[in-house]
Amino acid sequence: MPYPALAEVHRLEHHLGDPSDPQTVFSYRRCLALDDDEQFPAEICRQLEDFGLQHYYVPARHGGRLADYDTSIQLVRALARRDLTVAIGHSASYLGAVCVWVAGNAAQGLRLASIIGAGEPVAWALTEREHGSDLLAGEVRAIRTGIGYRLTGEKWLINNAIRSSTLCVLARTRDEGGPRGFSLFLVEKARVPAGGVRWLPKVPTHGIRGVDVSGFRLERVKVTSANMIGPEGSGLETVLKALQLTRTLCAALSVGGTDHALRLAMRVADRREVSGCCLLEAPWMATTLAECYADHLLAEAFCVVAGRAIQTLTPELSVIAAAIKYVLPVRAEAMIARLRRLLGPRVLLAGGPEGGMFGKVERDHRIVSLFDGNTLVNLTTLIGQFPLLVRAREAGRPPAAGLRTCCELSQNLPDGDLGRLSLVATRGCSLLLALPAAVEELTALRRSEPELDSVADAARRLDAAVGTLHRLMDQLPPARLDMPPVAFDLAGRLATAMAGAAALLLWLRNRDAAARRGSVTAALWCHGGWLHACLSRVLVALGDSSHIQRVPHDVLLHVLGRQVASGVAPSLFSSPQPDGELR
Amino acid sequence: MAVQSSPCLETLFGDPYQPDNPVGHAAIMADDERRQLFAAGERLLDGWNANAEFVPRELGGRLESTDALVRRLRPVFRRDAALGVGYGVDSFMAASAVWLSDSEVARKRLAELLLAGGPGGGKVSGAHHELTIGPDLRQPALRAARHGPQIRLTGRQEVINNAGRAQAAVVVAGIGDSRSGGSHSLLLVQLAELPAGCLSRLPRWRTDGIRGCQIGGLSFDSCPVPEQAMIGMVGEGMPVARPSLPVSRCVAAGIGLGMVDGALFTVLRFAVARRLYGRCVGDFSHARAVLASAFTDLLIADCLVTAAARAVHLLPVNADVYSAATKYLVPLMLEEAVNNLAVVLGARCYLREGEHAVFGKHMRDLPALGIVLGGGLPSQLTVLRQLPGLMRALPESAEAPPELFDPSGPVPPWEPDQLGPTSPMGNPQPDPLLAALPAAVDTMRSEHGGEAGLGALAAELVVAMRELSRDAAGIPPGERGVLAGPASLALTDRYATLLAAAACIGVWTHHPGQLGPAGTAWLQAALSRLLHRIGRHPAPVPTELDDALYAELLRRAGERRGFGLSDELVSRTLPGAA
Repeated sequence: MPYPALAEVHRLEHHLGDPSDPQTVFSYRRCLALDDDEQFPAEICRQLEDFGLQHYYVPARHGGRLADYDTSIQLVRALARRDLTVAIGHSASYLGAVCVWVAGNAAQGLRLASIIGAGEPVAWALTEREHGSDLLAGEVRAIRTGIGYRLTGEKWLINNAIRSSTLCVLARTRDEGGPRGFSLFLVEKARVPAGGVRWLPKVPTHGIRGVDVSGFRLERVKVTSANMIGPEGSGLETVLKALQLTRTLCAALSVGGTDHALRLAMRVADRREVSGCCLLEAPWMATTLAECYADHLLAEAFCVVAGRAIQTLTPELSVIAAAIKYVLPVRAEAMIARLRRLLGPRVLLAGGPEGGMFGKVERDHRIVSLFDGNTLVNLTTLIGQFPLLVRAREAGRPPAAGLRTCCELSQNLPDGDLGRLSLVATRGCSLLLALPAAVEELTALRRSEPELDSVADAARRLDAAVGTLHRLMDQLPPARLDMPPVAFDLAGRLATAMAGAAALLLWLRNRDAAARRGSVTAALWCHGGWLHACLSRVLVALGDSSHIQRVPHDVLLHVLGRQVASGVAPSLFSSPQPDGELR
Repeated sequence: MAVQSSPCLETLFGDPYQPDNPVGHAAIMADDERRQLFAAGERLLDGWNANAEFVPRELGGRLESTDALVRRLRPVFRRDAALGVGYGVDSFMAASAVWLSDSEVARKRLAELLLAGGPGGGKVSGAHHELTIGPDLRQPALRAARHGPQIRLTGRQEVINNAGRAQAAVVVAGIGDSRSGGSHSLLLVQLAELPAGCLSRLPRWRTDGIRGCQIGGLSFDSCPVPEQAMIGMVGEGMPVARPSLPVSRCVAAGIGLGMVDGALFTVLRFAVARRLYGRCVGDFSHARAVLASAFTDLLIADCLVTAAARAVHLLPVNADVYSAATKYLVPLMLEEAVNNLAVVLGARCYLREGEHAVFGKHMRDLPALGIVLGGGLPSQLTVLRQLPGLMRALPESAEAPPELFDPSGPVPPWEPDQLGPTSPMGNPQPDPLLAALPAAVDTMRSEHGGEAGLGALAAELVVAMRELSRDAAGIPPGERGVLAGPASLALTDRYATLLAAAACIGVWTHHPGQLGPAGTAWLQAALSRLLHRIGRHPAPVPTELDDALYAELLRRAGERRGFGLSDELVSRTLPGAA
């Protein structure tokens, strides 16, 4: 199955060279050494800028190459696959700029495009030491002066705070705060007089040790009104909309992380022998690896669909982004831990199997569920939209027209219109609304393809589970600040079910194209094999383990083995590789 | 060496949150940064003569029982797991096979070495025996050959703690040339007495987690060792070392209890002090539920470790399976508990600085302990091998001795002859702990049937036990080892989980005082969580239970008590508390 968004990934991989060759700039070995020394991967980032990766953070209308978000997402995934530290350190510039893309004017867009185009990092300064994700409690003040504002206060745990040339700062513009009490400002460091910005020391972290996580203190820093993004008081709304984009982008970090973990696991498992036979021949081992691969494919499917939803289901992104930002990192954490247990604790030895890289992937990846809206923030965002989702389902509302383009990969994406981003999905979520019809479609296919029997049953069970979830969501007390724990549990299940729905739709819309190609991945698509494996994993998470024994684990393991052996990413899609193996 | 009653370690270590405490968290984190074993902590343990904890009383030490050892070292693991295993628990693991042997000479020599004192105390290296003789996951890389009156040792013992500084090592060596795996000997090698040049100490490994531990290796090149280095008879390494497995597994599982106790306090401390969205984190039901669940899990784990560790003394013929189930389940449950707690702590769990840094350290160290203590898989395979016979022999009803559940009660000394060597072909031992479930459940239903659904949960447990019995009988003979299918291996998780439930019910029934005033609320939450674990879905735990358990956490923290079974006094205070 080809996926057009991967064409640029191929170019990037070619530019970066073989990561297992220590002579390569962006090599595994160098990443391990930099991590050890807590050094920012500056040389690697220069190589990324030679390639022009930063242009993929700038929308085409501002002169950049960001036309389709799914391409940028796959590029970040490719970085994450090599090294999460690099991916997080470099893509932070997109986070720094995103508010301008959402709410900035043409002049700000032009200015930021030139800053990013020149390879200068930009930082997004939202959080403060005492308030974390509670942005409404932010204390950094912007006080109006004659021609603009004066900014004072401290931001902390900011990615690229020190390295960046430009900051995007959320500051309080009304004494009493409140939803309209904050505004966003661009601060170019070079224009701040000496003493205006005091840098706080780098904060030592367990993972992504090389990333510049730090903070700064602003002391009466003057900015003109031209540096305010959007009208005064619009800061929080812009941030919440921008977070929908960045949270969707974060999926790339989890998928890239599990790309890497799976590759390492297969290599270790392949070499390890027990009582004279390869450990991979142990059925529990093989099944566990296949299930982890299924988890990975589920994440990839949701990542692709959500990435394309930015341009096709824009008003629904408040639900989709919260769901994917919760479910992918958390499931990836569990999967990486499961692989670690499978391989045995000695994968945590530096200099042991794969030079300690496995431990680094696990450490690095843990940040993904913590930043840019942590687990609780995302679940709370979903809980807040339960009534809308329930109402949309009860009304039998059809999915939005954009759903087909969203899921059918041969369709060109329309130009994105970030103006259509909405704080809540007033018309529900198409991925969920499309589920009953998708199940019917699959059931109909089964008549001519009896091999689809099991996967059709799994899809029916998913639909039924989603129905139950909506009933339970409807029974919750009205939304308030302190929701009962059961609400969080339901939100987590709903997000998992959405991943399953995305997988089902992706398979349905692309199965013909996938089956036509004689590639390694064709075996995954044939008779819904990967879909069945993914739905089984979703059902297990929803408390239904009826499908565990029916999944074609051997097919999955075979494809995973070939993908790892030929050095391509574990994926639903065949990537064009230099060695031509999968072309 | 004279043994005196020793002051409490908690008092000696003091409040770890005090920034100027030389043996507090700040100092621990600083040495961790330097990949150095916590030096001030080592000095403190030297002064406490901590090595005596690892030496049996009859040999001059303070070691009385597996259970007591786990409990007495908890103050160390609350603070720094690397210190605990690096200072000495790994010495104990290596030594345990010698203690349980009948080689009096070796026992005396090893006791002398450990009790000799000096900076850092005596150290003995040894791979956790399960890694070397466990269910055929690993062939010994060391070989012993006889040359006249001497034995010559050749090969490597890799990934062992304190390899760079140990005075002695307990090793398992293959005999002769056969790689059939049948013949091994156990040796106590006095490293300092080896002739120059034949022993190399291999470079230290760097690890993700327990960074202070000096994990290295030993390389022997035709090293001559005297005849009396051999523990037991030639080729009897496996039978000699096997009785120590239940002991070392329980100790390994118990290590995490202190770490999670420390981690739970850190998050509780955060929850009462941190304000988000205009209120305390602890004012959110979700945060309270997470803290209550972690507390529940910690107590479940403590019940299982207590029962298994005491079974080493009280039910030695069952100790092999109990300890294996414990070594598999407890680290897993504790890792999950810490992961859940991290959600409440948020980004602070990722920082290596600040007052909450110790949480991230515990979170990182928990999985890494497996590097020296072994992972859960060998234990799972130990259970799997015996499960069909075990469930077949399950008595209709039985009673577990109440002393099994009393952490403060005495136990008889261990009986090496009865410990462990359950041969795969031998008759399976009836399992009194699990078999006690139906009777205990009957009692609970008659006495507490109306009590918040406790009776229903208990009845569900019995159904689960019957189903396990049925499913275990269906494990094909070829699936009882490393070639098991996933469904067979999953039965070991169900067994361990039910065993944990039986241990919880045992403590609650016989020694409710150990659980504090919220004991019944805890049992309901515990059984519910355990049933969830094995794919059954009892009604969700009512939020009132979470609140009761949260209140109990606050009570214990306020009274400076630990969160485990015997809620001993702990040196730490919540902010704002006097």
